[in-house]
Amino acid sequence: MNDQRERAELLAALHAAGAASKEDEKELQALLQADPSLEKVVRDFQDSITALASSFDPLETPPRTLGKIQKKIAREQGSFLSRLRSWLSKS
Amino acid sequence: MAEARPNDPADLVAAMAAGDSGQPLSAFYAQYGSTVLALLTKMLGSPAEAEEILQEVFVELWRRAAEYDSSRGSVVAWVVTVARSRALDALRKRSRRYGDRQLQFSERHALETERGRPDVLVSNTRWHQALRQAFATLDADQRAVLELSYFLGMSHGQIAETLNLPVGTVKSRILAGMRALRAMLPIIHQSMRA
Repeated sequence: MNDQRERAELLAALHAAGAASKEDEKELQALLQADPSLEKVVRDFQDSITALASSFDPLETPPRTLGKIQKKIAREQGSFLSRLRSWLSKS
Repeated sequence: MAEARPNDPADLVAAMAAGDSGQPLSAFYAQYGSTVLALLTKMLGSPAEAEEILQEVFVELWRRAAEYDSSRGSVVAWVVTVARSRALDALRKRSRRYGDRQLQFSERHALETERGRPDVLVSNTRWHQALRQAFATLDADQRAVLELSYFLGMSHGQIAETLNLPVGTVKSRILAGMRALRAMLPIIHQSMRA
């Protein structure tokens, strides 16, 4: 493995693990632009950490939670529509 | 003509992006709600707070559905990224309010299962069994740095300080841990197909 690929692999690992600094992220983006084939390294690490994060035994969601989510969304949609109506009436 | 896939995650996200908060959102929540709740509970340690953040996560996923780009990763990766991000926000907020002690991490429990909890769904799917077996084989040092970075949002510098290790050692352990996780992917994928 050449030095640049090895460096990219380290940065991709730090990025996927959430431990990369701003400088690391910048350097990784520059390496990805120079060599798009490195995207696969990043994606494989991301898939791996996603598997880790979704490996816990699933918990039963409380019965009313979905309703609460839908209510919040309806409020957002309502406020967007009223803003849109008010903007249209002024223009 | 394309085959209809009523509960295909990408199709559900597309329907949510079009503004549908009915059946597509319900189906999407049915697919990912319990996994997200498990992750949030693990990260936050408080079931009540996790349930609160669960709502925020799904409202945000619905709001940002149009931003999902399948070329950048799977739907589950996107869901987990948003959930982790909201959990880290909650941990930071708690840390500002109560000080760093609240951020202390129970390394021993982080990757254990919660079999004793009455709300744990019986999870004997091949997927979860394979994941549990695979992660149990991770080296303890590698697991510790991955847990601190991923589940507590620490940078490599903060981990080095917390574990009293040189930054270079922390980076090497993260890379080795990520390589070990990556090596498990084929086993996990195989178990999903079986």
